[in-house]
Amino acid sequence: MTTTTASRIELKIPSRPEFIVVARLTVAAVATRMGFDYDDIEDLKVATGEAVTNAIQHGQSAESAENIAIICHVEPHALVIEVRDTGGGFDPELRRQVLEEGELQEGGLGLLLIESLMDDVQFKIRPGRGTMVRMTKRLPDV
Amino acid sequence: MNKHTGVDLDSERLGEQVAVLRIAGEVDLYNAPQLKEEMLALIESGVRHLIVDLSETQLLDSTGLGALIGGLKRLRERDGDLCLLNPRPRIRRDLEKTRLVKVFEICDSVDGAMRKWNEQGGTEQ
Repeated sequence: MTTTTASRIELKIPSRPEFIVVARLTVAAVATRMGFDYDDIEDLKVATGEAVTNAIQHGQSAESAENIAIICHVEPHALVIEVRDTGGGFDPELRRQVLEEGELQEGGLGLLLIESLMDDVQFKIRPGRGTMVRMTKRLPDV
Repeated sequence: MNKHTGVDLDSERLGEQVAVLRIAGEVDLYNAPQLKEEMLALIESGVRHLIVDLSETQLLDSTGLGALIGGLKRLRERDGDLCLLNPRPRIRRDLEKTRLVKVFEICDSVDGAMRKWNEQGGTEQ
């Protein structure tokens, strides 16, 4: 995918755990086409899965049929992934608790993984309108 | 491979209090409850030392890691332990990034884990 202009690919999945794999595989396919290497593709898969997991857990109720949107912006030198839900949001500071409170914390690991695997991460919590996580992975310099 | 859930769990008893749990496939929010249940069943049946074989685990997300942390907590409450056997480089890297390498013992063979626990007097029947 040797594009010099941005392209946009949007996927909507039901807010249910069995569809997380669909988001991971879609992002992996886009990243493969863009020329990312194996490790970067694995980073993208894990980070996307974690963002969708957060959207399911902290977004709509488990019974909700509301969709989660995964939007891939294919840019000339980077892949930008947005994961949007319509729920109440979560506290990105959770990851700090994991680091500061140390050893056996089960919560916040997903956010920690996202931030450590991607080049840039932004959280937008929109009261009443859900949460958006925007993650950027840059293509290695050729 | 279980095509429906994406993960295969297989456990083998090495003694009254020791077991190996093999995880093949990808662990995420969908199938992490399966992993939790399997560990809980082993612990409730008397296992105090659990070797979790990650050599065929292709992906282990935060909910899978959380399940393993939960298992480790329960085993430690019973003076037991849990070790991770041969995680792939990719998963080892995620364990480092989340600092869980400081929490879990990582071993490269079943014999090595057994030897260490036996030295501590932990797996004697």
